[in-house]
Amino acid sequence: MKHVEPTKLERPRPRGQLRTAAIVLYGTLMLLAVTIPQSVVNWLADMNGNPVQETAFRGAEVLRKLSQGAGVSTVYQRARDIFIAISGVEPD
Amino acid sequence: MLFPTIGFAVFFAVVFPVTWLLNAHNTWKKVFLVAASYYFYAAWRPEFTLLLLVSSVFNYGAAFAIDHFKDRAQRLTVLWLAVAANLGLLGYFKYYNFFAASLMNAFAAIGMKVDIGFIEVALPIAISFLTFHALSYIIDVYRRVIKPTTSLLDIMFYIGFFPHLIAGPIVRANKFLAQTIGPRDPANIRLGQSVFLILGGLFKKVIIANYLSTGFVDGVFRDPTANSSLDLIFGMYGYALEIYCDFSAYTDIAIGIANLLGYEFPQNFNYPYRATSVQDFWRRWHMSLSSWLRDYLYIPLGGSKFGTLATYRNIMITMALGGLWHGASWAFLIWGCLHGSALVIERMLGITGDHADAKRGTLATAVGWLVTTQFVCLAWVFFRAPSTDAWLGYFATMFSGRSWSTSVTPFVAVIFVLGALSHILPPRWFETLEKRYDEAPLAMKVLVPFVVIYLISVAAPAGIAPFIYFQF
Repeated sequence: MKHVEPTKLERPRPRGQLRTAAIVLYGTLMLLAVTIPQSVVNWLADMNGNPVQETAFRGAEVLRKLSQGAGVSTVYQRARDIFIAISGVEPD
Repeated sequence: MLFPTIGFAVFFAVVFPVTWLLNAHNTWKKVFLVAASYYFYAAWRPEFTLLLLVSSVFNYGAAFAIDHFKDRAQRLTVLWLAVAANLGLLGYFKYYNFFAASLMNAFAAIGMKVDIGFIEVALPIAISFLTFHALSYIIDVYRRVIKPTTSLLDIMFYIGFFPHLIAGPIVRANKFLAQTIGPRDPANIRLGQSVFLILGGLFKKVIIANYLSTGFVDGVFRDPTANSSLDLIFGMYGYALEIYCDFSAYTDIAIGIANLLGYEFPQNFNYPYRATSVQDFWRRWHMSLSSWLRDYLYIPLGGSKFGTLATYRNIMITMALGGLWHGASWAFLIWGCLHGSALVIERMLGITGDHADAKRGTLATAVGWLVTTQFVCLAWVFFRAPSTDAWLGYFATMFSGRSWSTSVTPFVAVIFVLGALSHILPPRWFETLEKRYDEAPLAMKVLVPFVVIYLISVAAPAGIAPFIYFQF
């Protein structure tokens, strides 16, 4: 929400920024894929079929089943249902 | 390919490591980033990548031609030809039908039937942005701010770099080309700042701009005369928040992404609705465009060097063309002229300069803020209304005081408040958050973006609308 001139906020430059940035990027994406696997499945289902897409789709389906089995993905669906009920926005 | 989508997340998950793996091999890194940028652009219409390539090759050659001549008049002639070619391309795609229709209407008004004909061609996305990047390069070469680069790859990279390609910020050639010379230092990654720019941008776009648009503003502007006066007032303020949250979201995410890849972009917004004069507003809103217009249009026209009347004329020309830059319609021209007129009036009243607020005192500053905000929000109606009839109907109904009922739902009201908070919360709060984030343990650094994006996903609308500035 803020807009900062990058050069105005010079702080001491920590070492290992690249490693940390990579962990943040992939850690975040991995956690999102595990907790909201249905969105990955839907995204892949919308793509044109090819061997890569089909393999990725099968992988995403396995992830979705595992997540569902562990009860992780249902938390998202419940939270979404509560939000829709409170906000009154159109259901998906 | 929109920023807040899984497609872009996957794209960036590939681009990020490859960019840094190639960092020691700068040329190969640039080849990769150009290829990635063209792929990014091709996601809309593959054929328009040709336009990107032609623009890059042409301006690469034009810069050498300008630099080749020692005589100023010859240099200027080549510059004019190159500027005309760039603007000709922009004009063909973006303004031909507008001028053809305007001309035919003008002839019709005097009883003559003239058929110039229209062209049926899709407007290449972001053509205005890539044209301004190209012009920045050749004009800077003409002014000898920079030498023409011998590397076509660098020009392709400068014009096509995907974070700024579609909707800015407009990066100056001399600032960007200096960053392409060698490998980038990963220590320049400001992780906290980039993460919060990206998260803030996602929140502003996905939640605030989208729900304001679909939940209220679109409906109000679709048929203004069917709404109450109060709803039209809310619609006007709603659109002001929507366009800020939409456009600043894009450039915030662009700045954050570019920094994660080791590149620096200029600031584009600085709490624009805190402005206490229209001049102040243009120092805070789309700063990379307003400074571009100042340096490449207003100053070459003569700026404020040739007397009061010439200054007013130059302001009006700059703002009128700035309005037209956004799109081919009379509404954009009127919007630009309104801002130009306001800037002229402020000059007449002496409300200008870097320390205008200090000279004015608290009460006058507060009045300045109030008047500026109302003016800016009223002017946005021209920007948003789809036709002349629409904005005429909008203002007629809004000022008629016909009805004071409202269709704003409690949820939309909450979105309004969240949008307003983007300007109310003190900047130092965000700076503290970033500092805390930078000092936090690694697990927390991962958890924060995960939790924020998770919550945004929970509350996100089913589909994400394209960013408003994509059409420009």
